[in-house]
Formats: sequence, structure tokens, C-alpha cells
Amino acid sequence: MDKRAGLASSRGSGVPAAMGRTGRGGDAAPTKAGAATAQFLNRELSWLEFNARVLEEALDPGVPLLERLKFLAITGSNLDEFFMVRVGGLQQLLEQGKNTFDPAGLTTSRQLQEISRRTHQLVADQYGCLLHELDVLMKAAGIERLAASQLDPAQHEYLERTFDNEIYPVITPVAIESAAKFPLLPGLGVNLLIRLAPVRVASRRHRYAVVPIPRRLNRFITLPAKGRHTYVLLEDVITTFAHRLFPGEPLLECVPFRLTRNADMTVREDQAGDLLGQMRGVLDARKRSACVRLEVNDHITTTALRFLRTALHVREDLLYLVPGPLDLAAFSALARLPGFDDCKEQSWSPQPPPQIRPTDSMFDVLTRQDVLLYHPYDSFEPVVRLVEQAADDPDVLAIKQILYRTSANSPIVAALARAATKGKHVTVIVELKARFDEARNIDWVRALEPAGVNVIYGLARLKVHAKICIIVRREADGVRRYVHFGTGNYNEVTAGLYTDVSFLTSHEDYGADATTFFNTITGFSQPVRYKKVEAAPIGLRARLLELIESEMLRCQQGQKGHIMAKINSLVDAEIIRALYKASHAGVKIQLNVRGICCLRPGVARLSENITVTSIVDRFLEHARILYFHHGGDALVFISSADWMPRNLDRRVELLVPVEDAASRQKLIDLLHACFRDTAKARLLQPDGRYVRAEPPGSTKAFRSQAAFSDQARAAAQQAQRDRNQTFEPQRPANSSA
Amino acid sequence: MTEPRPDCRPVAVIDIGASAIRLRIAEIGADGVVRSLESLQQAVPLGKDTFTTGRIQNATIEQCVKALRDFRRIMTEYGVTREDQIRAVATSALREAENRTAVVDRLYMSTQINVEVIEGAEENRLTYIAVQEVLEQEGKRKVKDAIIVEVGGGSTELLLLQEGRITFAHSYRLGGLRMRESLETYRAPADRVRSILEQHIKRTVDQVHRITPVDRVPHLIAVSGDAQFAASLLASDWADVRVSRLESAAFTALAEKLVPLPVDDLVREYRIPYQEAETIGPGLLAYAHLARAFQVKELIVPKCSLRDGLLREMAARGAWTQEYTDQILHSALALGRKYEIDEKHAGHVAALSVQLFRELRPEHQLDQRFELLLQMAALLHEVGNFISDRSHHKHSMYIIQNSELFGLTRRDILLISLVARYHRRALPRPYHTEFQTVDRDSRIAVLKLAAILRVADALERNHLQLVRDLSFAREKNQLVMTVHGVNDLTLERLALKEKGNMFEEVYGLKPVLRAARTSREVSSGG
Repeated sequence: MDKRAGLASSRGSGVPAAMGRTGRGGDAAPTKAGAATAQFLNRELSWLEFNARVLEEALDPGVPLLERLKFLAITGSNLDEFFMVRVGGLQQLLEQGKNTFDPAGLTTSRQLQEISRRTHQLVADQYGCLLHELDVLMKAAGIERLAASQLDPAQHEYLERTFDNEIYPVITPVAIESAAKFPLLPGLGVNLLIRLAPVRVASRRHRYAVVPIPRRLNRFITLPAKGRHTYVLLEDVITTFAHRLFPGEPLLECVPFRLTRNADMTVREDQAGDLLGQMRGVLDARKRSACVRLEVNDHITTTALRFLRTALHVREDLLYLVPGPLDLAAFSALARLPGFDDCKEQSWSPQPPPQIRPTDSMFDVLTRQDVLLYHPYDSFEPVVRLVEQAADDPDVLAIKQILYRTSANSPIVAALARAATKGKHVTVIVELKARFDEARNIDWVRALEPAGVNVIYGLARLKVHAKICIIVRREADGVRRYVHFGTGNYNEVTAGLYTDVSFLTSHEDYGADATTFFNTITGFSQPVRYKKVEAAPIGLRARLLELIESEMLRCQQGQKGHIMAKINSLVDAEIIRALYKASHAGVKIQLNVRGICCLRPGVARLSENITVTSIVDRFLEHARILYFHHGGDALVFISSADWMPRNLDRRVELLVPVEDAASRQKLIDLLHACFRDTAKARLLQPDGRYVRAEPPGSTKAFRSQAAFSDQARAAAQQAQRDRNQTFEPQRPANSSA
Repeated sequence: MTEPRPDCRPVAVIDIGASAIRLRIAEIGADGVVRSLESLQQAVPLGKDTFTTGRIQNATIEQCVKALRDFRRIMTEYGVTREDQIRAVATSALREAENRTAVVDRLYMSTQINVEVIEGAEENRLTYIAVQEVLEQEGKRKVKDAIIVEVGGGSTELLLLQEGRITFAHSYRLGGLRMRESLETYRAPADRVRSILEQHIKRTVDQVHRITPVDRVPHLIAVSGDAQFAASLLASDWADVRVSRLESAAFTALAEKLVPLPVDDLVREYRIPYQEAETIGPGLLAYAHLARAFQVKELIVPKCSLRDGLLREMAARGAWTQEYTDQILHSALALGRKYEIDEKHAGHVAALSVQLFRELRPEHQLDQRFELLLQMAALLHEVGNFISDRSHHKHSMYIIQNSELFGLTRRDILLISLVARYHRRALPRPYHTEFQTVDRDSRIAVLKLAAILRVADALERNHLQLVRDLSFAREKNQLVMTVHGVNDLTLERLALKEKGNMFEEVYGLKPVLRAARTSREVSSGG
């Protein structure tokens, strides 16, 4: 075990608290506590372990410096979301008096305690990483953060000018009359708490003011320097000149703090028709919701801290005193600093898939064959090209697409608008409930409607999570439908950072299923039976259970049983129980679960045939791929769904069988590669800890993401060489028949 | 740039049933092969309204409007916009609603979709077309003797297939939803549901069994969503086949198991829509009882529906296949036998009528459908004799009007009855109400066909089928019919004088009979 793993295990000491006992139903099903073997791991603690794995990447000396900073920033933003959503939710439960047991046997209050304990460790590690490792290394590399006390006179003067011209005009100190009248501050912003001396010397009452730091100001103020990047944190600049805000008043203390608010507002869409209006309501309501975390710089005096906690009603366990800058998520901007290439990963640029030439019509390609792409190793460009060509193709009748977390300047959005202005029937289902992208979502939707796109705002009660695009085209031998099924969003930015699978086909049954699915979610039709796919919330769970069970039955009859699954989260108790049963019957089960995993592997008489690995590497593992041995005639699927109750029961998700031989083989190879990883994979232990996978003997570690990247590049180069060496007959432009 | 599009017609059919509106979008290839593109359905409680209050409620009408508007949008995406690309039909729930005309008009106003309320017989015909297509693919195992039964939401259509021929067709007011509604209306307690249903079904099944010309058949072809649901549970290969064969015993056992289950349980257990769950119990029980009554060994469930029939008919562009025409003629013959007609005479008049119809195509300009209607009228023109020889043409009219002839719409049957009515005696008069109820095109067609029938009947005046070999020539204002092989045509000439006036009025040609001098001179006409 190397140094990093040692770190991981030192932090893993608290994990056994995640043990519990058998739960019933979904993750929310309460169970009676009591002495029993724990069949499930607690999902919150499992999630924290995932974040700890991300932090390991930030601590890994083998990772380039600015990538380490990026991973650190990710752990920060991950924790922010975790507190808003999960801790917020638990907190709400508790406030409603629901202190019930989770499937792991922990009560709500116990979970909050354990979360707090584990998070405090994590936060300590985060700052240890930043202050003792990254800061030191970055300084050596030429990126240096200066404290106010370290400034030379020229720098001081420069900052004074910056403060006067850019900062002072946009900040507003708010005087606080009493703790009871604390101003309503938005969550996640950095604020300064200022303590002023009492008016009269005789008075013991301190006076306080808050300066909220506007988010649009740059957090990192760059100082002029040659060949180096020297910066000062915005809050330090304001602190330095804070006395200007209170002329003639002695400032006793000026300390940054940050609070996190509960975001889990239930959208009551069945009671109000205008979903869009409602979402805006949510954005406002979020500001008013309860505080679930308070982060304060640990220089704060006990006087000021007592005041702050009283004002914000923050319990001890929700308080985080940190020894360094707040809001680590903001450091992702620093990680993207131009230059400093030595501190960054070499580019693994997305490669053109070998079976598609750059000049090909996607319609021709897909008429010839199905295409399976593994992003970001394979470029997302063919998917974009398909939509763009559809927009301009005179024979395309209609385009139907589900958009979820897309970007405003997306070429896909532009193509859809263009298609609509050209008279094609364009229907877009927009999911506004993508949690933190609501504001962004609303903006680009506004651009689609005037173009004549028929925009449908999600489904009442169910969140549409499936990714699908259908193009209906009239061809010589009749209507043909081109379908793209994906595990990721139609977002060119995340397509470069997440690993996702795209499956493109013009096969008739997929086209029929895709349109049926679409008609169902637009409410144009009740659910009718599918030919190939299966969809949540109606049939997906049952189909999964059936697939797992059939492996079990084969095993019981002496056949080989083998399941491989690559998913992001495994929480669903019913699925986990089915996997336990299958394991017990002898089915070999290999799971690659990036994030939360409530299944406890390798426990005798429960899960001895199950292994769980997790890969945390440069790209966020996001594809969902399933493999069932099926007596040798393997069934392979891609899916938008994680194995969580919310995905299987409350979301619209798809399970798509991939039957095309080449595509299927590519997925199987891909799964095998993930399980072979010995560089970035961790093995989940029966006690909930994760241990790094080791290469067998003295062999070199196998890094699956690097291998995928190399393969894609080699295939692209080979294809390029082949093309240069052959003279291809010129095809007529429109040879789809 | 764009290559010329071959003949691939996108079309849409809509079926407005008792509990749902269903749309199928399909493409008909140049070869007439139908390829389905999309299937949609929306739940609409038409049956609930009609079977409890007798009329469709406004809220339900609005639901229909919404569904059809949604469908219209999808249809537009496939370029289905013209009226000749769309066929929308409504069955029992709308048929029996007091306000059906208002509903149909409202739907047309809001959606420009012209909904045709079809009769049970038409439903039967369309179902048969669909079933036939599926069964044809069965090849050697083709079923020749069976009852084809569709237990729908509001009505049950039954066809008897003997030796591959349809010999009997009937529509009954027995329906899954209708039963469910009456149970609810009378607030039947849960434990009595089963026995009430059984009694109700048994009554109807007994009646069906009594009037169907056979006591037992080897097969029951069950056509409905309920039956397909049963097949999906009983046949492991259901997903991959077009037809499933189920043993009666297994089917009955399943029906017995499902009948007592509450609708909510069915929905949860089998993941089906509510409106489907409501009819499954009563629907399957009805099949089970029919199977028992007819001592059926095997139930055959084809994967097809009314919509397949509609599509197949659109693919044929209204032209009927020979097989299908034969089925229709056979049902006329079966009716004729029931009324003890002179089969040889009727058949001969029909043959002569066809000969004349084809000869006169330039004059009447009627399509092939009318040839069939004329044939039917010729076969049935004397059924009225069963009642009385006096005014038998009028008796023929109302017997035909009140019979179920497989494969024909009410309108077709009305036309046939009118042609038969005018095969003798008075020409149409303003006070002949039946004649006045049909539209102008139909009236003209009746005149054209009746005129031919009269001439054909005159040629077969002596009921001896002597006039067989005919050739035709047009001379001035005459249609000269040269008869070969018959020397004495006195009787026929007399009859023609008596009955030929209508022909002259309609076609502007005086029919003239001539005996051929030698055995054969000219041959024409065909």
C-alpha cells in the first residue's frame, strides 16, 4: 500500500458507523434498529467516502499540480451540494420530527452526527492539502497567494487603487442592530463579519456589520508580476481596506464566513400549472431557507463566533472552523490558469471515431451501421453533426430531443432553432429541475421558443433524466428514424469531462421505441409496450430485477452466471437484495460504482461473489453499462439510470439494449478494462472502506482511462493512414437508399 | 437535388373506442405493404359516459379534442395532413351516445378530423381483414373453422368461419366496460362481482350459441387487447410471434384467476393502464364462456386490431381482394339460402348482371365496388318471395336492410336493398322514402344498377338459365344483345319490353335482343 492509501485508511477509521441492519423497500424505508448484521452501508457516509477518494487525487503527487488543485476544488463544490441537498434534507426530516432509521440502521440524528464527524475530518484533510502541500508546490511553480501582511508598498498601492475603483462601489456593509435582526444572506457566498468597538467605552455591547462579497467580483486579485502569478484573495483585500467603510470607527475584527442553506425545496408542480414561474419561485425561496452549515475562518474570536452562531441558529455540529480560504470550489478558476502547462495534464483530446469520416453524412453512416461512442475519448462531434445535418437536410421532417443541463451557446440548441425556422417540426423537452442549473436552463429555453420550437417543460412529478434525440427523415424507401441514446447530457462542455456512452442507430425497432417513449413523456400517449428498450418509472426496475434473477436461475441450474455493471451510484435496497441473492446462488458480480454504494461486498453468506470497485481519475466516470452473461449470449445495455430509488421510481430513465455486434463488443471490452484498472481503482471493503487496487506482482499499474485514450488515438491515426492509402470512390451526396 | 420520391404514402388511422383513443401512423409502400411507424393512445372515458348516462359528457368531449389535437401534431410531423391520408372511426361508445352527431361535429370543428361512427358489422369486417392477414401467414396451419370473436368495451363482434368461408356475422351488446359500468352502477359488492358477471355473460353467450348455425367449433380466434394481455401471460414466446395458440383450459384458468382481482391490483401487478385493467376480468370471462359453449379446444390470439384492418384497407385503396369479395358473396348466398331462394336463378341473374355491368362501364363509370353491390342485389333480389310473391321486391328490400351481411357497411346494404327493390315494377318516386334518404350520387348509382338488374332478370325470365352466351353491340341508340344458342327468345323479349324502360331512361340505349343465326358469329362482351 502506498502513501496515499495510507492516508485513506487513516481517514477511514470512522467508517464502521455506517453499518446497520437490513432495511425494507427503498432507501427511505425506515427499519427498526437493533442488533443485527448490517447488510447495507449508509448512503451519506458512502458518498463522503467518494469525496474522500476525489481528495486522494488532490493529494496524489503523481497527479500534475493544477489538476490536484482542480480535484481539491471539486471536493469543495461536491461538499457544497451535499450540504444543500442531503444534509438539508436530513435536517428537514429531523425538524419534522422524523427521526427514523435508514436501511443501514442509523437514525436521522445519528446520520447527521456521523456526517459531521466525517466531514470535519475531510475538511481538515482538504486544508492540509491546500496549505501544506499545494500552496507550497504552487509557490515553487510560480503561483503564489500573498497575505495582506506580505505586500510590498507598490503592491499595497495597486490593491488600494483596485479597491477604490472596482470593489468599493459595489460592496455594501450592513449594520446589525442585534443578533435577532441578522440580514438574510444568500447561501455559498463569502461574507465578512466586522466587529466594531462599543460606542461608549462604558458599554460592553459590541457592534457588528456584515459585508457580503458580491459573487461577480473576481475572487483572485492578480498582482502585477513578471513570469509569476501572484494573487491576493478578494476578502483579504477588503479586510485590508475595511476601515474605509467605517470612517472613524475602530475595527476590532474582520473575519470571513460562509453559510450554506437547505436547497431541497419541494416543487409543488401538481398544484400550479406554470412550471417556469414556479422554478423562479424556487430560486427566490432558496435564499430564505435554513442554514445547514457555517464555515468560518478559525481566526475568529470566541465573542464574534458566539454572536454569529446565535444570529444564524447554528448547532455545534454544523460549524466548520477552517484554517484557510473559504469556498475551495472557487479554486477551479485558478486551476484553469492559462500557461503553467507543466502543472497540467497533457491533453487527451477527443478523437474522431474511425468508422466516421469527417466529411460523412451522418445519415449515410447510420444507414450503414450502428455507432457506439465512448466519450470523451471518442469525440462528441458526430452527435452534434447529426443534429446539425438534420437541421439543414431538406428531407428531415422532425427532430425530437430531451435537453437537460445544456449550455447556452450550444451548437445543438442553435441547430434546433435553425431547424424550426426552416419549417421542421422540432419538439424539445426541457427539464427545468436540473437542480442547480435552473437559471441557466431558463435562459436558453427563451431562445428556442421564438424560433418555433415546441418546448415542453418536463413532466409533472417526474424528472426526465433519459437522454435521447430522434430525427425523422423521409427517404426513398420510406420514413427512417435516426436515434441517439446517451448516458450523458447534450452539453459539449461536460462531454469533454465526463465519460459517457452514445449509441446511434437507425434500426427500426429503436426508432419506434424512441418515438413511443417520447410520446409518453410529452403526454401525447399513455405508455405502450416497447420492443427493445425499457423505461423508468414503469418497467425499468422490474426488468433489472428480472435480468438479475435470470442469472441467478441459470446459476442454480448449473450454468455460469455473471453480471457486470458500471454505474454511478448503487443505493436501491431491492436491487441490492436481488444482487445478494444472486451472489448467494453463485453468480459472479462485478460492480464498478463510481460514487455511493450501499451494497456491502465480500461478506460471507451474503455477498462473497460480489466485488465493487470505484474509479476516480481525470474524467468523471459517468457512463452506465450493464452486462448479463445470459448463458453465453450476453445481454448488454446502456442506461441513463443509476440504481437509486429516485432514478428507478421517480424519474424518466431508459435502459437500452445494444445488440449490434461491434458496439456490444466495445462495451464488453470497456467493462473488462474498468475492472482491470490498478492505477485509479479502489476496492470497496466489507467494512465500507475503500482500498486502492494493486497491480499483481511487480507488473505496471493499468490505468483504464489512459488506455481508452491511447486506443482512441491509435484507432483514429490508423483510420487516417488507411484513408490516405486508399482511393475511395466518390459517393453521390445523397446515397442513403 | 432531391431524388424523386417513390410511392410511399404516410397515413394515419384513429380508433375511438370505449375507453381510449388510439392512433397508428404507418407508411404504405408502393407494394402495398403496411409499415407501422407510431402507436399512441390516450385514455378517454367515452364508454363510462355512454353506458351509464347515455350521452358523452362535455368534459369527455374536451378530452377527445385534446387527444386528437395531440395526434394531429404527430401526424403532421410525418406529413399526414390531407383528409385522404386519415381515417378515423368510432365504435360502440360513440355509436350509442344520444349526442353522437354533436360530438362528431365538435371533433371536426376543433381538429378537422372527420370521425366516422361505424356499425358493428363494419367493425366486424375490419377486424376480419386484420385477422385474415395475420392468419394467412400461418401457412399450413391456416384455420378454416372457427369463431372470430372480439369482445370490445361496449360490444362483441362475432364471425363464424366454416371451411374458410364466413357464414355468419353478428354484433352483440356485450362488452367488458359495459359490464364493469353496470356493476358500478348497481354498486355490486366485491364478493358478488364474479357471479353477477357470470350470469350476465352466460345469458348473452347462450343467446349467441343458440342463433349461431353451429354448436361446436375447434377454434376461437380472440381479437382484443384483453385477449392479447392473456396471451402475453400464457405464451412465453408472445413477444416474438404474431399469433399465439392457447389451450382453452389454461385460458379459462387465467380468466378465473384475474376476474376477482381489484383493478388497482391488476395495474400494480401487471403494469397496465387503468382503462385496460377495467375490462380484463369481464373480457376474459366472456371468451372463456364462449369457448366452453362452443367446446373450443384452442384459442387463437392474433396480434392485430381494428387499426390493422383500417390500414390494410387503406393500403388496398378501397379495392377488395378476390378472397374478400368471395367472402362477401358467400355471406349473401348464405342469407339467400335462409330465405329459400332459387339459387340457380339468382346466380345466373348475378352473372348476367356482371356481364352487362362490365360491358356498360363507359356509360355508367362506376368502380368495382358497385359491381359487387350489383352482384349482391342480384343474388338477393328474390328473398322477398319468402314472405309473399306479391310485392316481393318490397319484401326483399326490408329483409336485406335488416340482415347482417358480412363485410358491408350499412350504406352498402341500403344500396343493395334499393337495387333489389327496383328490380321490378315502379321506378323510384318522390314518395319512396328509403330512396330519398340516400345522397344523390348513391341514388344515381341505384338507378344505374337497378336498370342493369332488370335487363338481366328479363334475360332469365324462364328461370332456366338458357341465355348464357351473349355478345353486345351498340347501334344508334340501341344496345344490341346477341344471344347464341337460343332460337326462341319470345319470352325474354316480352320481359324486356316490360322491364327495359328503366334501362333506356338511364343509359339512353334501348336494349334489344337478337338471336344469333349460326351458332357463333361474334364474341365480345366478356
